[in-house]
Amino acid sequence: MGNLTVTMTDVKGEISTFSDVDEGLSLMEVAKAHDVEGIFGDCGGGCSCATCHVYVSADWMAKVGEPDDIEFGMLDMVSDVQQENSRLSCQIKMSAELDGIAVTVAPASGY
Amino acid sequence: MPTQDNSADQATLTRDEQELIASATLADPAVQAQPHAFYRALRHGDPVHLDPTLNSWLVTRHEDILAVQADPLSFSVNKGYHTQQARGMQDEYQDILRRDGGGYFPDAIMSDPPYHTRIRKLMENAFTAHRVKDLEPRIQETVIELLESVADKGAADAVKEIAVPLTIRVIVEQLGLDHGMEDKIARWSVAVTAQIGRMQNREQMIENAHEICDLQHYLIGKMRDREVNPGEDMISDIVHAKIPMPDGTVETLTFDEAVSLVRAMLIAGNDTTATAISNLFFILATRPDVAQLLKDSVNDERRMTRFVEELLRLESPVRALSRMTTREVELGGTVLPEGAHLLLVYGSANDQEEVFPDPRKFDIDRPNIGRHVAFGGGVHLCVGLALARMEVKVMAREIARRMDNIKLAIAPEDVRFVPTVATRTIEKLPITFTRCAV
Repeated sequence: MGNLTVTMTDVKGEISTFSDVDEGLSLMEVAKAHDVEGIFGDCGGGCSCATCHVYVSADWMAKVGEPDDIEFGMLDMVSDVQQENSRLSCQIKMSAELDGIAVTVAPASGY
Repeated sequence: MPTQDNSADQATLTRDEQELIASATLADPAVQAQPHAFYRALRHGDPVHLDPTLNSWLVTRHEDILAVQADPLSFSVNKGYHTQQARGMQDEYQDILRRDGGGYFPDAIMSDPPYHTRIRKLMENAFTAHRVKDLEPRIQETVIELLESVADKGAADAVKEIAVPLTIRVIVEQLGLDHGMEDKIARWSVAVTAQIGRMQNREQMIENAHEICDLQHYLIGKMRDREVNPGEDMISDIVHAKIPMPDGTVETLTFDEAVSLVRAMLIAGNDTTATAISNLFFILATRPDVAQLLKDSVNDERRMTRFVEELLRLESPVRALSRMTTREVELGGTVLPEGAHLLLVYGSANDQEEVFPDPRKFDIDRPNIGRHVAFGGGVHLCVGLALARMEVKVMAREIARRMDNIKLAIAPEDVRFVPTVATRTIEKLPITFTRCAV
């Protein structure tokens, strides 16, 4: 068991805090391990779908950084729900620097 | 969300639509070739529809396909896929493979969780978008080589001379197989895909089964070699794969599992990706507005990515894949018994007007462009999707840089489609073109 802390607001607005997160896990893996609603991770963490889309809270965005071109291309596939602080949670790996991070699960792309 | 009430639209069906629902079947090659009117009638009138000729339920609405994909235990791929395979002739099919093909190897990836989760994990790492990005320069070389091989003729069969050789050459390199076998691998691909197409007679099934025997002997030979001489290729990765189990132990694949996975990796992406590229040529040859759009987008990565996605939505290579219910279950207002065979008709969901307004329009600015189900979804989402997208994108880019005035050399209505329920695949596509002034 790790000792990093992650707070996630699921797609229905329910807030959960996990304080035993291992370094190196992606936020998608953390969410899947705890059945956080709205995170699917269909492609398995390959940055090839957009079903692990989260919004990173403003104060964490600088540490998390911008998506690279490949990730941006996937986020652009769901541009109806894309925001400035959109990231795919499979591409954010937990580290001591991100201890305490808070993210909100983005809604699914609409009809 | 669109309405879940099946009866709502029935009153507004036209007489033609009522007639289609009552008497058309996806087993009809004419419907397979031009299916959109049938799909639309079903979505509005009977969205979970028992096709009596196929004895399969056609699931045609986007929201219902999503519901199936979200519940892989009630809707089994293992049972659905293996029921569809050589349906009606299964014992004979499996006997031929056991007798002449080194064995009958059920598809390990066509399975259900939790077993599927472990197998899938092995395949996922090979095809991440970032790994595929590293392959781009090599894919580009191969695309340029193929386009240049026909460039001075000004004419080609876009299917046999461009699309099919590309997808085969790319996967052959990834697996560490031999070049120069395109024709053989193309035949093997057709033979494997035909098993879920529902259109074979007994004679064709036997012929295809013997092709698959050939394929298996070839692959088993390569696997035996990589067992003792491992290399930097995906066959070596599979042969030596270690699967972490939930209890912390590590297992290896059985021989049967490994053969089925190597076979799937070689075959699964060929026809489908080649079909996407054939569709690309068809649309460029018949829609000057789309050809212009491609030229205008070629130096914009974001627009090129969207161009490929819209192509996959508009002309989805995979038409319909199988599931089977493992219990009585309600879907889109219809109660299905246990053991019902379903076809998820992706081609219909991607044409649904409530999800994609003006669905026949080629519109790369759709805000929900990634909502299409051309790659399926849920735990069975196509594992090779990043590779497929990359091949289509690089092809589109190099066509735009090298070719002008692409035209069909036959009338559009003479374009023939492979008879199958599983894909919508152009058989051959003679085109003419000129070389771009560079």
